[in-house]
Amino acid sequence: MHPVATGAPGDRLLLLGNEAIARGAIEAGVQVVASYPGTPSSEIVETLLDVSTELGFYAEWSVNEKVSFELAAGAALTGVRSLATMKGAGLNVIMDMFMTLPYTGTRGGLVLVVADDPGAHYSSNEQDSRFAAQWAMIPCLEPESHQEAKEMTAYAFGLSERLELPVVLRTATRLSHSSGVVELGQVGRPALEPGFNKHWKTPYRWNVYGPPGAPAKHQWQLDRVPLMVRESEALTYSEVRRGNQPVAVVTCGTAAAYVREALRDLDLEDQLWLFKIGMVYPIPEGVTLEVLRQCGRLLVVEEGDPVVESQLRVLAQANGIDAQILGKQGKAVLPLHGELGTSIVRGALAEMMDLPVQKDKTRQAIKQEVAPLVIPRSSALCAGCSHLGTYWALRQAMGEKREDVHIANGDIGCYEQAGYGVKGQMPEASEKALAHHDSTILYDFLDTLYVMGSGVSMAQGQARAGYKGGQVVAVAGDSTFFHTCMPGLLNAVWNGTKLTFVVMDNFWTSMTGHQACPATGQTALGQPVRTILIEEVARSLGVEFVEVADPYDLEGTTSLLRKALAYDGVAVVVTRRECMLQILRRERKYKEPYTVTEDCAICGECVKLGCPAITFSDEEGAGIDPILCVGCDICAQLCPCGAIVPGSEAS
Amino acid sequence: MSKKRKAVTNVVVAGIGGQGSILASHLLAQTALKDGLDVKLAETFGAATRGGSVMAHVRMGQVWAPTMMEDEADVVLSMEPLEGLRVATRFLRPGGWALINSRPWVPVDVAVGRCEYPSVESIVDGLRKLGAQVVSLDATELALQAGNARAANTVMLGGLFALGALDLSENSLFGAMDERWSERLVQVNRRAYDLGYQEVSASLGATK
Repeated sequence: MHPVATGAPGDRLLLLGNEAIARGAIEAGVQVVASYPGTPSSEIVETLLDVSTELGFYAEWSVNEKVSFELAAGAALTGVRSLATMKGAGLNVIMDMFMTLPYTGTRGGLVLVVADDPGAHYSSNEQDSRFAAQWAMIPCLEPESHQEAKEMTAYAFGLSERLELPVVLRTATRLSHSSGVVELGQVGRPALEPGFNKHWKTPYRWNVYGPPGAPAKHQWQLDRVPLMVRESEALTYSEVRRGNQPVAVVTCGTAAAYVREALRDLDLEDQLWLFKIGMVYPIPEGVTLEVLRQCGRLLVVEEGDPVVESQLRVLAQANGIDAQILGKQGKAVLPLHGELGTSIVRGALAEMMDLPVQKDKTRQAIKQEVAPLVIPRSSALCAGCSHLGTYWALRQAMGEKREDVHIANGDIGCYEQAGYGVKGQMPEASEKALAHHDSTILYDFLDTLYVMGSGVSMAQGQARAGYKGGQVVAVAGDSTFFHTCMPGLLNAVWNGTKLTFVVMDNFWTSMTGHQACPATGQTALGQPVRTILIEEVARSLGVEFVEVADPYDLEGTTSLLRKALAYDGVAVVVTRRECMLQILRRERKYKEPYTVTEDCAICGECVKLGCPAITFSDEEGAGIDPILCVGCDICAQLCPCGAIVPGSEAS
Repeated sequence: MSKKRKAVTNVVVAGIGGQGSILASHLLAQTALKDGLDVKLAETFGAATRGGSVMAHVRMGQVWAPTMMEDEADVVLSMEPLEGLRVATRFLRPGGWALINSRPWVPVDVAVGRCEYPSVESIVDGLRKLGAQVVSLDATELALQAGNARAANTVMLGGLFALGALDLSENSLFGAMDERWSERLVQVNRRAYDLGYQEVSASLGATK
């Protein structure tokens, strides 16, 4: 079993932030856990799944975040402690329930862990999810360290029960995906028997429409705000350290760690006040007012948007305090985009304190001299990935006539990399080249790429706009299809909108680490269940053109895709092959590596495939890396010279 | 030397997804933990499961932030030359060590003709310009000699310990390896470690 479960109280383990959060939930005695995978949040539930059977609680991967949150909420109404985790984007998927559930509140502790991604390392946006907690008027905790991640998670369940409200714990990439030393505590109490009382404490408690109606329930929630502030005041994870000067740094979450390092680096530790806030909504008003009154100048350092800073400004203004507040608003000393770091915080501190900023011009010059050597390394699909075959066939089927401007609508999953572009030097950027769909290189193929489930619906908008400049397609993967594509597909059928929709089924939610999904044929715990076939779902939604293709068969797949594009109605093509990484993990090997013979005419056609095992130069022609190549045969099928063959067949 | 430099040792482990860089960084962090140091380890990788740039910051001593500032690394250990230069340009302090596996992993950008992979000599030269003490070795070849190409990361750890730049005990590292692997894998990796140690010791003109 995972050391997160077996560790004894007092043990000191090196844990990922996400593992620390999992341990916190275990220590709190969590009973129901549900989630949809999303980087950087996935390891929380992966860790909990590992130990759920032995520890006797329920955990699952749900079909999407909305389902997982509503499932957790349903469990909490019966009095048990439940947890839903998601990435920032996942929070957007649950917003309807998220804004409504607080009207009735909850009974058992209900904790939502939201992992934001400043710097958008793994995400479509840099959203600050703490705003959502403020919008819904529920508490939001933000841990600084791995130890706090564990402790605050456990604490959040009790807080939720005292306030009878869901609680948000906001983490960020830098905490979730880093490791630190965590001292373990006692594992939580045994499971409670679930119970239900529809009039618990107030009439029709779990029904916003029930008497006395939603506004009265909203009033009930507003009455909780002073209680929330009192909890915020009492929170032991907040900290005030006085300094010699009437100047304060106000901070929270991972930003606090950068502040500590920057203060040390600038030798300001004794000079400035340090005010770290553990509950970022609502902030502890009493102690904040005290700091505002004592310090004429304050710098607010937080990861994301000015959530704490805005509350501070409101509080100062409402209490007639004329303090100078620096941060991300007004004359900003900190950036509103990107991820913070010690250097940035040090710069802001130096600016506030009027310290000379040392700029080593010689060093910068050396770095600039070396920089041209540091060529980019663009993201690529894996060697032997079935998506390579699907995309090749799709590009053939759509055609490369230069007068056509196709629109390829992408979606979220490994296959989104076909929209990442290739950095390096861009080709001649003529007007025509920019306007036209440049399908020469796989990674330039996708034209629109936003959020889960968006592509299939956007394609319908392009059709309804009367777009005739070229072909319009939408692509998605298996897990994404089940997550949010089904309503979009049904919409096209119902409204009779022409749509070509390609679903790449590789059996797993691969990009986030190969979690199971309805296409896998097993649950998150590996129990065998019926595989939900995408073609059957499509047919039952009323799609009349439904075909299944093998993406390792380029000719067969291309011909089916041509028919689908020509079809006057809704056409779905499922391309199906298991994720190559999963095959290699299980079997160690797929087939023998291929090689390039002397027949290579140096045409460069194989390079367009986008396989990382293929090398190419004008002098030496094509080559295949024998370590990376898995023998999928796709490049051999597309080589016009027949120059790519299995290693053993080369003369 | 600032207060901070005395208090903290910073290492960046870099490479390509699938080469075992993250695993090497975890072994290093576990070693520091066994030696009684506080430690923070931050992983950064792109969206791709394999083949993308990977970087881990290992920070030992009195640390709060999981990531270090620019020009703060005492050592850059890279499983791939270009990634070593990429990371060193941002993080290596002048006078710090750059320990580089000399086997290139050519990015897709080169295959599609949008840039050229620099020669390993020019990469080493670039590292020297940045003020690095450079040691490069063919860790992949040494790992094959040890019995498994995937042990290149432990070859590099052997090289790292041979530098003598870190105040960590070999026994703690071996303990961390014992906890992670079966006896068979430990044997392969201990051989790999020794080969890396000897190679780097030899190139530094010292013996173990």
